[in-house]
Amino acid sequence: MNKEELILKWLDNNLSPEELEAFKALEEYESITKLSNYTKEFKAPEFNTEAALQSTLSKLESKSVSKNKWFAPLLKVAAILAICFSTYYYTTTLDTTIATQYAEKTQINLPDHSKVNINALSKITYNKNQWDANKRNINLEGEAFFKVEKGSTFNVITDAGIVSVVGTQFNVKQRQNYFEVTCFEGIVSVTLKDQTTVLKAGDSFLIIDGNQIERLKTNSQQPDWINSVSSFISVPLKEVLAEFERQYNVKIEVNTITTSTLFSGKFTHNDINIALQSITQPLQLQYKKVNKTIILTRE
Amino acid sequence: MSKNLHKDICDKSRFEALFKQHAKNLHDFLYYKFGDRLNPEDKAQEAFIKLWQNCEKVTPSKAKSFLFTIANNLMLNEVAHQKVVLKHQKTITSHHTNLSPEFLMEEDQYRQKLEKAISNLTEAQRVAFLMNRVEGKRFKEIASLLDISTKAVEKRIYGALKKLRQDIEEL
Repeated sequence: MNKEELILKWLDNNLSPEELEAFKALEEYESITKLSNYTKEFKAPEFNTEAALQSTLSKLESKSVSKNKWFAPLLKVAAILAICFSTYYYTTTLDTTIATQYAEKTQINLPDHSKVNINALSKITYNKNQWDANKRNINLEGEAFFKVEKGSTFNVITDAGIVSVVGTQFNVKQRQNYFEVTCFEGIVSVTLKDQTTVLKAGDSFLIIDGNQIERLKTNSQQPDWINSVSSFISVPLKEVLAEFERQYNVKIEVNTITTSTLFSGKFTHNDINIALQSITQPLQLQYKKVNKTIILTRE
Repeated sequence: MSKNLHKDICDKSRFEALFKQHAKNLHDFLYYKFGDRLNPEDKAQEAFIKLWQNCEKVTPSKAKSFLFTIANNLMLNEVAHQKVVLKHQKTITSHHTNLSPEFLMEEDQYRQKLEKAISNLTEAQRVAFLMNRVEGKRFKEIASLLDISTKAVEKRIYGALKKLRQDIEEL
């Protein structure tokens, strides 16, 4: 057995007792064992398998959350797209709302060039995108006068009822416990609690406190309020005063006066004193102005 | 064989068993190959994390070579071929107290020479030699760890021994 084989067998810890003796007799024995002994000092640091396992498992847990890393940028892109799309969708399908304040009137054009005059303290809402050839819907709270271009059915939806036309001019007044439709041109149909009434030019439809009230035909071409005058024919005083409050942004105290008295007449929107006189004189009342409050008393 | 019953290792208990089986060897392998600068313990853990993430693709029989390859690559990614540094585990010799100063100096010199000589070995030689001498592993075990033949292990270890003795003579 040569030297190399002997050394290798020793290295592999595989020597028989006789071979060990032979190995010890080698001249290299001394230096090889010294080298080997000192080499043992270069042992790797103690490796604690259990601790390393626990640390690895805890890392696994935290990593498994972010396992789909390639997914993250895609999610970001998707989120941005979703936001853009929903903003676009939201803004384009958003209803258009026009509201007036006390003593304010305004006129707007609808997408089909129909015109709407809006009286004080009223609000209309419509959706530009759903405004097409088949359907023209508009929500109304308050009072407005419509000049509708010819086209598809034009619906004015109010809490009190729906007013449908094809092409015409009409006024809708929907206030608390008060619903009035006046047709100035063409034909208007008013649907109220599943009952439909057809109005021809000059006809009016009036409901106060749930009761329908017969009206005379009117000859005017448009409601008086367009010309800054409110006119009434046999309307309870409280409705007249409510309209007055809306036009002048004041409070009216009536105290002992019966407000169910019927009133026929007009008042202007331009001069509060003349307007007050035109209401109080026929009813033989007196008025007193204190700041924004008007107190009515009997003569 | 029970090992082959499982197609993959996506199971905590199987993973833990593999960890207990291979982690220390992997760590020692990395240490002897690359020294302690690059944190062999972290790299070993990272390799196991990679194994878990790829558990569906790695069969249990392939797990060991997967781990060693991954850990080796992790190291190589970081090494800009730094000099290998193995630390003395000084505690081992601390029981020699009643020795002459000359002897202690000589011993110290010998250690320094040996350290230099070891770091001059090739990576393959160093790993095989230290696994054998320090960890007391038989040639066969080393061969199966490194996926090489026993003959190759013999060659590496004998070559290492020869080179070390030569270097120490010269230094």
